[in-house]
Amino acid sequence: MYLLENLAQKYKRISIVGMAKNAGKTTALNYLLEEAMDEGLRLGVTSTGRDGEGTDVVTGTDKPRVFLDTDTIVSVPTQLYELADAGLEILKMTEYGSSLGQIMLCRVVSSGYVQVAGPVINAQHVKMCEEMLSMGAEMVLIDGAIDRKSIAAPESSDAIILSTGAVLSRKMNKVVEETAHTVALYSLPVLEDGQDRNVIEEHKNDDRIIVIRDGEAYFPDITTGLGGGKLLDGEIDEKTSHVFVPGAFTESAAMDINPRKLKNVTFVLKDPTKIFIGSGNWGKLRKKGLSIKVLENIEVAAITVNPTAPAGYKFDHKALVDAMQEAVPGIPVIDVMLS
Amino acid sequence: MADKTAVAQIDLTKVKPYGDTLNDGMTEVAFTLPVPYGDEASEAAKILAKKMGLDEPNVVYSKAMTPEYTFFVVYGKCQHTVDYTTIKVAKVDVDVMDRLECAEYIKENIKRPVVIVGASTGTDAHTVGIDAIMNMKGFHGHFGLERYEGIEAYNLGSQVPNEDLIAKAKELNADAILVSQTVTQKDIHIDNLTNMVELLEAEGMRDKVILVCGGPRITHELAQELGYDAGFGQHKYAEDVASFVLTEIVNRNMV
Repeated sequence: MYLLENLAQKYKRISIVGMAKNAGKTTALNYLLEEAMDEGLRLGVTSTGRDGEGTDVVTGTDKPRVFLDTDTIVSVPTQLYELADAGLEILKMTEYGSSLGQIMLCRVVSSGYVQVAGPVINAQHVKMCEEMLSMGAEMVLIDGAIDRKSIAAPESSDAIILSTGAVLSRKMNKVVEETAHTVALYSLPVLEDGQDRNVIEEHKNDDRIIVIRDGEAYFPDITTGLGGGKLLDGEIDEKTSHVFVPGAFTESAAMDINPRKLKNVTFVLKDPTKIFIGSGNWGKLRKKGLSIKVLENIEVAAITVNPTAPAGYKFDHKALVDAMQEAVPGIPVIDVMLS
Repeated sequence: MADKTAVAQIDLTKVKPYGDTLNDGMTEVAFTLPVPYGDEASEAAKILAKKMGLDEPNVVYSKAMTPEYTFFVVYGKCQHTVDYTTIKVAKVDVDVMDRLECAEYIKENIKRPVVIVGASTGTDAHTVGIDAIMNMKGFHGHFGLERYEGIEAYNLGSQVPNEDLIAKAKELNADAILVSQTVTQKDIHIDNLTNMVELLEAEGMRDKVILVCGGPRITHELAQELGYDAGFGQHKYAEDVASFVLTEIVNRNMV
């Protein structure tokens, strides 16, 4: 299956996001790198963490190395530069720091293994991806770190590849369920065009909570939704239709809102990465009538599955792919260990 | 059989433990097995030590912890070597200033008070780490951040939810957030630390603060993977953290 060719026509920035550590993000990256080599696609490659080192700093397990083809544009911090086995031409010393040194943008002159790392701040990733594209990369692949998902936000990625696998649970249906939950979160209803949306769009970057009552916008004096559930609750009355929260929307905030009020309002968020509600409580809150709409959704371009867990157990390849495919119809599911 | 004659030359590409003589590999390990005290227990400890790569294991001490558990101290000769010359460790790349130099640096380069908020977060009830860095008396003769002129330090204590720490940082318009994780089970500190990063990103604050983590299981290398600007492990004091934060404020143009 030529996944990358299809993606490259639609998207410029694709991030690989993991459901958990060891879900196979780097394996998915290598799969895409190989396709790019076959097709002669010039890639930019970066990471929100670190990739290509021999062993994992968190779990101590072996990690796949990253082999880059000639002409790939890659971000490498100064302390990892001399560890590269590929020939790297330094194109630019960026202003982005990392705990492994200043990030440099390099062109691969002779192919080989490279340890890749990028900025740890998403806003810097956005700027750096622009630079990689202007340096001639046709598309940028951003490898995620651990299970950090904020890079999936539409601000920083045009589409994502979600990596999941046996590491999530010993029970296959649990793996499928958790993954399907994330996919469902990423395809929440989008706030329809109209006056409510216009008001919110106008003020969405003001970093303020917006309450819409009777079609009119109010700006309560609440600095953040974090730990502010009770304050939010106080702002909601029977005329309130929408509450826009610019930042994180957490479990505890949602729980602090009176269930009767919860039923009658729609919470509006910028995108699904703002939701911090576990799958268990998500179900409970939905039953209580929690309704969330987003300004923008996340495009899940593909799901990769890894049937093997570092703890030693594994699932049947085909059974996992089939079960996953059934749970997320319409999204290609790829077993990266088979291909 | 292992070579018992010592090689009197240090070869940095093949380093092994030093006991009585160079390269004898002498190593001491201590552990507890869930078996009752006795000869069988000691034999089990010996076999295990051999599997660990210790030649000629010798159980020098064993004691019943409970009727079902036994504690051991075992000596043996390590068979493995390490190539010291190829080791690279990521380190915080900053010139460390002492307390008075930090105050001077703030006066000259930042010209306003620097606000630092810290806590031991999540389930972690241990304040020893965050107190060592922040509290006035500090640790091991190194005064804490509260004593630094030009720094306003807020230590929120232990078991602080990430949400509260962020809300406080926002309220105080903090320049830096310090997160401490001392004792953790089953890598819960990893979940806790990444949740902090993700919340900050969602709040749109991540690029506006310097985010530092610390604790005995934290390394600077780990910080990159977790999404922190720096990580401080053991033997780091307030001046290491302050020097990093202040330099970073200037580097990132947050003055």
